[in-house]
Amino acid sequence: MTETFEFWVSYLTNGRHLNWYASFQYTVIAALLGGAFALLFGIGGAALRNSSLPPLKLLGTIYINMVRGVPDVLFFIFFPLAFEQLVELVIAQSACPAGGGAGVWPPCPEANWFLGTGEYLLLASVSLGIVYGAFTANVISGALNSVPRGQLEAARAFGMTNWQVLSRVHIRQMWVYALPGLSNCWLLLIKATSLLSLLQITDIVRGANLLGAPNFSRTAGVIHGDWRWGYYLALLLFYILVTYLSEKAFAAITRWASRGMPMAERV
Amino acid sequence: MTGLLEAILVDVAILGRATVFNLYFAFASIPVGFGLAVLVMLGRNSNNRLVANLCGGYIYAFRGSPFFIQLFMLYSLALALNLSVWKPLGIDWLVLNPLFLGPLILALNTTAYTAEILHGALRAVPKGEVEAAKAFGMGRSERFRRIIWPHVIRLAWPAYTNEVVFLFHATALVYFTLPVIDGQRDLMSQANDLFQRDYNSVLHFSVAAAYFLAVSLAVFFVFGLVYRHLMRHMPGARPLKFSLTRA
Repeated sequence: MTETFEFWVSYLTNGRHLNWYASFQYTVIAALLGGAFALLFGIGGAALRNSSLPPLKLLGTIYINMVRGVPDVLFFIFFPLAFEQLVELVIAQSACPAGGGAGVWPPCPEANWFLGTGEYLLLASVSLGIVYGAFTANVISGALNSVPRGQLEAARAFGMTNWQVLSRVHIRQMWVYALPGLSNCWLLLIKATSLLSLLQITDIVRGANLLGAPNFSRTAGVIHGDWRWGYYLALLLFYILVTYLSEKAFAAITRWASRGMPMAERV
Repeated sequence: MTGLLEAILVDVAILGRATVFNLYFAFASIPVGFGLAVLVMLGRNSNNRLVANLCGGYIYAFRGSPFFIQLFMLYSLALALNLSVWKPLGIDWLVLNPLFLGPLILALNTTAYTAEILHGALRAVPKGEVEAAKAFGMGRSERFRRIIWPHVIRLAWPAYTNEVVFLFHATALVYFTLPVIDGQRDLMSQANDLFQRDYNSVLHFSVAAAYFLAVSLAVFFVFGLVYRHLMRHMPGARPLKFSLTRA
């Protein structure tokens, strides 16, 4: 009994496992950074959508609607690839002799842009931000329209400037209406962080695959068989736990944001 | 210019064949998922606490975790049981085939989301109509068939339309996990493959995106027609509006 216990403790704290635990940071960073980008793009998209200039409005509408028809994983893979190629194309303009080979990438070895985990993580966060920013823009644009007109009229009647109305009344009251939708976007975003391994990042998913694969050694024989499902089950439980904690956190934020609001029960 | 047009047409043809796999995954999993979802919804609403909690737990687990991890988890589970269960039964060729396992995992996933949608609709059924049906002397099953279910399907249809589109988008993940056999590639896998050949990311991924968009619009259109049929007796019923978030 104690022997099996000791085995499990030493197995679960060996170097490869410690590396795996450390790789959870990539998931957390991508979620937080992606969430920040999503909020930024969301506010920008909502501003475009509610703009009075027709071309800007059209741009905002296209941005918000693009995620309706195309899966997130396509954007998630395409944006980093296209960005990397764009940068390499720019480098190639100056670094490469004219007439690089067609169908070869990069056009010449000098133009190769090596991307490490850090760069990929940043690109992944930006693409998460772009995709979930579209969802967020939809939520925020709807919330801006949900603020009672009377509140804005009252603010104007007090002699506030347009900017004061926007920053002191409109955006302040918008959050209460936006929170349920933002909570939904956040839950979608943290689930999308499981895709990091598609961008060459050795994240928790790839780590689980490596650790769980059947393990042989020449001296000790078979150490363990195919344990991958166990590791993936652990990841499944991790994500369910994060979802649960996020729901609790958003409920608390909603309670806080809607204090003193007469419509609090409806949220 | 003609070279570009030709390249686009070649892509349209190659990726058109790949779309068939995405459509197959969606068509194979949606009816199964819907049927199971009705059962899970009834279970979630059951008076038996154990059944209700089990169904609630199933819904929470599948909605609270990424589909990508569910794919990996269930696929590796199927692999781990191969020598001890599937091989002796002689069904390993079926269970480990992506064309069987893919729709199965998709169906388990969409069951949870659909059950949640149906459960929400069930709770919104007007109480007065159910009481009126009781007063008419209708039995439990007749009440469900003639009063409750028509309400549920009408209330749930807009959200279910969204779910079907999201499920179609989720089929893009299947071949990132399951093995590609005999060049059976879906849209994402095929687009990636084309990209590896000539590094033209914009062309291949745009054509793949266009296929996803076309199918999504077709789903919206067909489900919109069904919705109009469901709401045909309601005066001034609103046309189907789509929300952006999965239920």
